Amino acid sequence: MYKLEKTNLDDFLRTVSKDREVYALEQAGSQYHLIRSDAWQAGKHTLGAFRPVEPLKALVFHPRDLLGSLGDTAPGADIPERIVIGAKNCDVSALKIHDYVFLNTAPVDPAYKEAREKTIIVSCDCTDACEVCFCPAVREQPYPKAGFDINLSPTDRGYVVEAGSERGRQLLEKAGKMLSAADAAILKERDQNRQKLLEKVCAQTEKMGLTCGADLRQAVEKSQGKKIWDDFAEDCVECGACNLICCTCHCFLLADGRGKNNATSRVRQWDSCLYKNFATVAGGANPRRHRAERLHNRFDKKFSFFPEVLGCYACDGCGRCVEACTGKIDIRKVLKRAVNEL
Amino acid sequence: MSCNPYMPMPAKLENVVQETANIKTFLVRPEKPLVFKAGQFIALTVPGIGEAPFTPSSSPSISEKIEITIMRVGRVTEKLHALKPGADLAIRGPLGQPYPLEKYHGQEVLIVGGGVGLAPLRALLFALFEDMGKYKKIFVRYGAKTPADIVYRQAVEAGWGRKEMDVVITVDKRDAGWSGNEGVVTKILAPDKLKCNPKEGVAVVCGPPIMMKFATLELLHLGFAPENIYLSMEKNMSCGIGKCGHCRLGPFYACKDGPVFSFDRIKNLQKIWD
Repeated sequence: MYKLEKTNLDDFLRTVSKDREVYALEQAGSQYHLIRSDAWQAGKHTLGAFRPVEPLKALVFHPRDLLGSLGDTAPGADIPERIVIGAKNCDVSALKIHDYVFLNTAPVDPAYKEAREKTIIVSCDCTDACEVCFCPAVREQPYPKAGFDINLSPTDRGYVVEAGSERGRQLLEKAGKMLSAADAAILKERDQNRQKLLEKVCAQTEKMGLTCGADLRQAVEKSQGKKIWDDFAEDCVECGACNLICCTCHCFLLADGRGKNNATSRVRQWDSCLYKNFATVAGGANPRRHRAERLHNRFDKKFSFFPEVLGCYACDGCGRCVEACTGKIDIRKVLKRAVNEL
Repeated sequence: MSCNPYMPMPAKLENVVQETANIKTFLVRPEKPLVFKAGQFIALTVPGIGEAPFTPSSSPSISEKIEITIMRVGRVTEKLHALKPGADLAIRGPLGQPYPLEKYHGQEVLIVGGGVGLAPLRALLFALFEDMGKYKKIFVRYGAKTPADIVYRQAVEAGWGRKEMDVVITVDKRDAGWSGNEGVVTKILAPDKLKCNPKEGVAVVCGPPIMMKFATLELLHLGFAPENIYLSMEKNMSCGIGKCGHCRLGPFYACKDGPVFSFDRIKNLQKIWD
């Protein structure tokens, strides 16, 4: 654990990001955007107080990937070495879902593997929460515990810098002269900051009526077929925004078409389980004909399937779906009602 | 499988056999042998159109060319049915889990097919034929809509030329030339038409969902244990390797954990027959 002086932050980030494409946060009004650039730019880029609008998953699981032409054995386009600076815990933790799907369950997805290997993650503790944040309700917290290469914790005394992987340690060596051992006072301040923000997010979540620590798996499983889904589905317009903006949603479609020189090409593109024909078979049968069934399915995947196969919810409480939903369906209100009706 | 699990290998369509008005058997030769086990499926690509999952219907001991019996029912199969021998295709697989044949050893094996659902069961039959001594007896109960809808008709009616097999066919609706059974497939599962011993037997079912549902209920009624009833679950599949999320069935993916499930694994899940 190291300490970095505030005045050295820009130098430090320029050092660790040298020769890499940089994905950093830029502030626009009350929001942050994750934007690609050639280098870390002081003044323009920021570590951000909370997560950006765009989910981190899009960097490693692209919205649309050209997999290649038929009979083509050449690997896909090369992904440059890159570094993400300022990623927040919800996004970092979400990658455990994508890692499970694309890396740790055979066969390995080569495009994901390459993107993941070429992406260094420099995360940062949240220093504030946006209105829709509710990570403590899904057993997460506004600072990362794992999944980062380097994590920064801002304090009044400077930054606590922690390596979370071997390549993170190697990068820190490059910036060695800017780092000193973290002292007890700065670590204490970091812990206090973390606790204070956790309590704040907890309080705002509970103000919405959602109890932190409630058994969401049981609530969602027991709610199947009940009126709650008909009621919320009334506002769903099946736009799929919740899926596309979600930091954990991983469903996709393989689609074929004709590319250059009329060559057959195959793409892998994000899909949405709210779309009517997501599960329809060629003969026309659809196990989820009703929107209410599809809405429940989305929650079931997140709060039942992933706890069963991976031991964690596939929701990190980022609240992006609350902001994106055309019908103003609030996941916190849905979960609250499911828990209350248990 | 190629190094990219989403990409198929080139294949040629060698021959097409018209089985019924809307079912054809396609003989496909992959660029390299494609080794599969009975029950596993493949994804067949019509270049530029798309890919769809099918279970081969030929013997798993032949990997140089594969027969796939396909009903014309959707976008990809419509195009497939219009193809002539020599057409370019692409194939990906094997995908999914095979029938657990070792669990069938020493048992009576009851095969229940409906319509084009006999196709994957044909691959299973060929696998069983290779090792007939290991199974106590093989029963086939097959139902089609009309006599004209019976696939592999000659072979089925001749019991694949194997006297030791007990084969009974029924049609939902007879025609002038039909003197056999009439009625849905559950009728020929009744004890007077099926002298099997469910306590020492496994049942393997493949057909339209409604047929599988009622066949399963009948098999349970006959005394087959839920863990001894094997069902082919038809789900929308895209990737075929448990990643795209389309074919989820409770805690399973039909493509990766199936497509064949013993009934005990799925009986408590919702909507398995839809």
